[in-house]
Amino acid sequence: MFQITDIPRLLPEILLLVLALLVLGSDIFEKWGRTPEAQLERVRSSASLTAIGLGLVFVIALLQSAYLPGTRAPEGPIGNPALDWLLTILRNLQSGGPGGAPVTGAFATDHLTMIARLTFIGAAFITSLLCLDYRPSAHPAEFYALILFSTLGMCLMAGATEFIMAYLAVELTSIPLYILAGYFRNDARSSEAGMKYFLFGAMSSGILLYGMSLTYGYAASALAGNVTANDLTQFARIAELASDAGSGAALLTLGMVFVIAGVGYKVAAVPFHGWAPDVYQGAPTPITAFISTASKAAGFILLLRLLTTAFPSLSGGASLADLGGWTSLAAFLALLTVIVGNLAALPQTNAKRLLAWSSVAHAGFILLALVAWAAPQPFDRDQGTAALLYYLVVYTLTNLGAFGALAAITLIVGGDEIADLNGLARRNLGLATLFTLCILSLAGIPPLAGFFAKFYVFMAAWQGGARWLVVVAVITTLISLYYYLRLLKAMFIAAPPSEAPLPAPPAILAAVAVAVAPLIIVGLFPNLILGVISRVQTVAGL
Amino acid sequence: MHGRAAPIAESACAPLKAVMGLFTLPTTIPWLSLIWLSTVVPAALIALIPRRHAEAMRWTGAGFALISLVLSLLVWLAYDPGRGGFQFIERLDWIPQLGISYLLGVDGISLPMLVLNGVVIFTGALMSWNIEERVKEYWVLLLLLTTGVYGVFVALDLFLFFVFYELAVLPMYLLIGVWGSTRKEYGAMKLTLFLMAGSALAIIGMLGLYFGSGLRTFDMIVLSRSVTLAGDLQRIFFLPMFAGFAVLAGMFPFHTWSPTGHVAAPTAVSMLHAGVLMKLGAYGCIRAAMWLMPVGANLWLPVIAVLTLFNVVYGATIAMAQRDAKFIIGYSSVSHMGLVLMGLAAATQLAMTGAVLQMFAHGIMTALFFAVVGRMIYERTHTRQLPELGGLRKVMPFAAWMFILGGLSSMGMPGLAGFWAEFTIFLGVWERYPLIAVIAAVSIPVTGAYILRAVWATFDGEVKNPEFFKLPRLTWQEYSGAIILAVILVVVGLYPAILTELINTGVQPVVAQLTGVVVAGR
Repeated sequence: MFQITDIPRLLPEILLLVLALLVLGSDIFEKWGRTPEAQLERVRSSASLTAIGLGLVFVIALLQSAYLPGTRAPEGPIGNPALDWLLTILRNLQSGGPGGAPVTGAFATDHLTMIARLTFIGAAFITSLLCLDYRPSAHPAEFYALILFSTLGMCLMAGATEFIMAYLAVELTSIPLYILAGYFRNDARSSEAGMKYFLFGAMSSGILLYGMSLTYGYAASALAGNVTANDLTQFARIAELASDAGSGAALLTLGMVFVIAGVGYKVAAVPFHGWAPDVYQGAPTPITAFISTASKAAGFILLLRLLTTAFPSLSGGASLADLGGWTSLAAFLALLTVIVGNLAALPQTNAKRLLAWSSVAHAGFILLALVAWAAPQPFDRDQGTAALLYYLVVYTLTNLGAFGALAAITLIVGGDEIADLNGLARRNLGLATLFTLCILSLAGIPPLAGFFAKFYVFMAAWQGGARWLVVVAVITTLISLYYYLRLLKAMFIAAPPSEAPLPAPPAILAAVAVAVAPLIIVGLFPNLILGVISRVQTVAGL
Repeated sequence: MHGRAAPIAESACAPLKAVMGLFTLPTTIPWLSLIWLSTVVPAALIALIPRRHAEAMRWTGAGFALISLVLSLLVWLAYDPGRGGFQFIERLDWIPQLGISYLLGVDGISLPMLVLNGVVIFTGALMSWNIEERVKEYWVLLLLLTTGVYGVFVALDLFLFFVFYELAVLPMYLLIGVWGSTRKEYGAMKLTLFLMAGSALAIIGMLGLYFGSGLRTFDMIVLSRSVTLAGDLQRIFFLPMFAGFAVLAGMFPFHTWSPTGHVAAPTAVSMLHAGVLMKLGAYGCIRAAMWLMPVGANLWLPVIAVLTLFNVVYGATIAMAQRDAKFIIGYSSVSHMGLVLMGLAAATQLAMTGAVLQMFAHGIMTALFFAVVGRMIYERTHTRQLPELGGLRKVMPFAAWMFILGGLSSMGMPGLAGFWAEFTIFLGVWERYPLIAVIAAVSIPVTGAYILRAVWATFDGEVKNPEFFKLPRLTWQEYSGAIILAVILVVVGLYPAILTELINTGVQPVVAQLTGVVVAGR
């Protein structure tokens, strides 16, 4: 039953929707001139509305979660009427904070959702900053509104505890992204990206839906004759029915495999990655940043919740001795992904495509964390969840920074080949340093956050029994270092075509710096976010 | 027989005790943190100095390098060898739920390394005065590199150890790639990939140790005190751990990065690299592999001893055939680091004391070599090819004497630091593997030959190139840097007890660990 008190629990989603409509509507009031200045003006106003709005929603979501120390509203009034009024608002807001049964059984607002929300909204915020000075597009308001709709979809994906909700959320996330990927319709690559993304996406939706229907079929037949049951699509209910799966186990497993395949496309895990390099390369660079981070993270969070709450009994083992279940499936996908992703990145000559393949490879490292579910001890499984989330947060920031820096470089140099990076350090040391920090974090070099993230997922997978996989992953990390160093080599060692300084647009630089600063801080003090992330452990099964 | 204390310098310790542990430092100050901070802070400062003030950057860098050296010396003098063990311990929670802490401490093995690093970075800073290109980036990276090295030598948490270790490796890529010479891009990439491969191996060893021991901690003191890792697992995971760090120590067959890297690197980086970083590998072998997995060590050390034989003999032979003076030093480093590893592989008190002493002696000596060849000669003549050099003694006698002094130490001339180190190693190895000691002794005449050949070709005879008469004079930085290194070589050579007694206390627990498990029959 939906209750009025559920509204604060959905507040960030509601606000995102309102903001999206506002951005869409506000454009009518702008001057629609044909001159470049007028167009830029339109872009600016939509972009700043989006960025400010997202910033506000982020702050509200952060206050609601009360993750920042000292932001939990104290009990009782403190005397000052104005302050009390504010405190009451804060208290009402936080009443929708982490915890409680899923809203109408379909949308959980637990710690997992909270952290995911913050990640997505933060990513959208940085993306909107990246777009601020990027090529002005024809219909800026739609562009930004689509980003917001997609963000809304991601938040719903993270909280979905039911198949229909999950499916709708996946679609709500994807459809705006198809349009965004092909937004530069005069650019052949961009059009190709949009089309390819759409075709692959449609296909994968079908697979996902098929897997869901098989699972539903299993659940319905397990309850043969009981027609009153209307909660058969809920993850927890399926887990309940699956725990004593007898004859229908094969059907259930098949359903699960299809579901994994369907979500596997969202996270671009090999062999469902075919679309990724072309789409990442063709899409406008800020959108690539968004797709490769937030969208991938949303996929992983859905995968985590789905697998651990709907199919816990099928988790199986991942050590070579007892393969079986979804942990070994995850291990197998991870194996393919780290190998293919890293090897395919080696010969690339285009920096954007190189980073695209590196994003594919990182999906493999994230999958390693899921393998921890094969460990018998709940403690180790929780480590897997924490490792997954830590990696996602760090990876989101890092890749946003990397693609953001690349967007800035493309703007000022006019290309995104590796050769275009030549000598950048002599012409714009600040930008080169920011880009380098992102690359090193992706490569997993301490003290940047990417190192501990990688180390943590290795630990998780090791404890899940997949030592063979960790050994392979460590080797591929080494391989990845080679192509990351090539970028460094171009920027720092190669001779620049000219010595003239190249100033970068301040908004993009600021956005990249916002993404990079936490990499250093969190890298030095992982507990800053690990403390919050480890709260997820106890509720992930909700 | 392995448990007994080293006989050398036993009697000479009495006056020494008056020098060491003479004063106590206030314990409220985190001395070890200050040491590594004293090189990070200037890196940040230099990043803020405007580009046109290159001289200010140099002074800042060298000044803080001196501060870090002084701090290391203070800690060394205040360390109480009578009490032994780890002192100046600092412990803070870092990631407590995973058993990762910020744990620092020094013992008799890490102290000489700290001082060595301080000396080499300070003299290296003096030798970097002539870097004119992208001065800011150079100093920032150089100081970051140093920070990593300091950190490794003071870290007692395996995770922290590893973080510092990688921090020490990566700046090297840019330092060589940007400021290097001869095939610098190739050398930089090769070096980085080799060393990262080593760290990848070490990660596997770390994970095996962490989960296998069941202690769920990276605290090396705890891990060593109760070696709970099953013997079988130790035999498996010792190898990646040791090999991972041995790559950095230049162990055959993973040594090929080292001469290429040394040759390509700018002078100060060569000095740090051959002087300190390779020691960092050997230090990792002792600390992370041998100390924590003694059962595995007892199984694999004989194999390693045989491999190091290749280092010692083959490295020296290859050095004989080189034409580039830096390659000669590069291969001589491979040969001398082979002696270090051989001492470790013998794992007796005597051999390990010698090995650590050799780490110190070779660090100073090779820094001196690279200072002479890289800075004094190459930066002026722009060649290091032996046939093109010649007669430089007449032009720069100081450089010649310094090179000869380093060479004598390298050959193991009594009265210089290298002699005591090599002598002790050979004695120790003889105790355990007489045959290996005999074969390794072949390297002694070969070393003498290639050093003399280099001295002769570079400095002796008539001045080959009339241009050499116009070479600029040595700067005061070059004089003072070289003199510091030379004085240390002589002082340690005349009075080795200044180090050996300290090293003895550090090596003892490791040897006890190794012999303990033999006695316990595990």
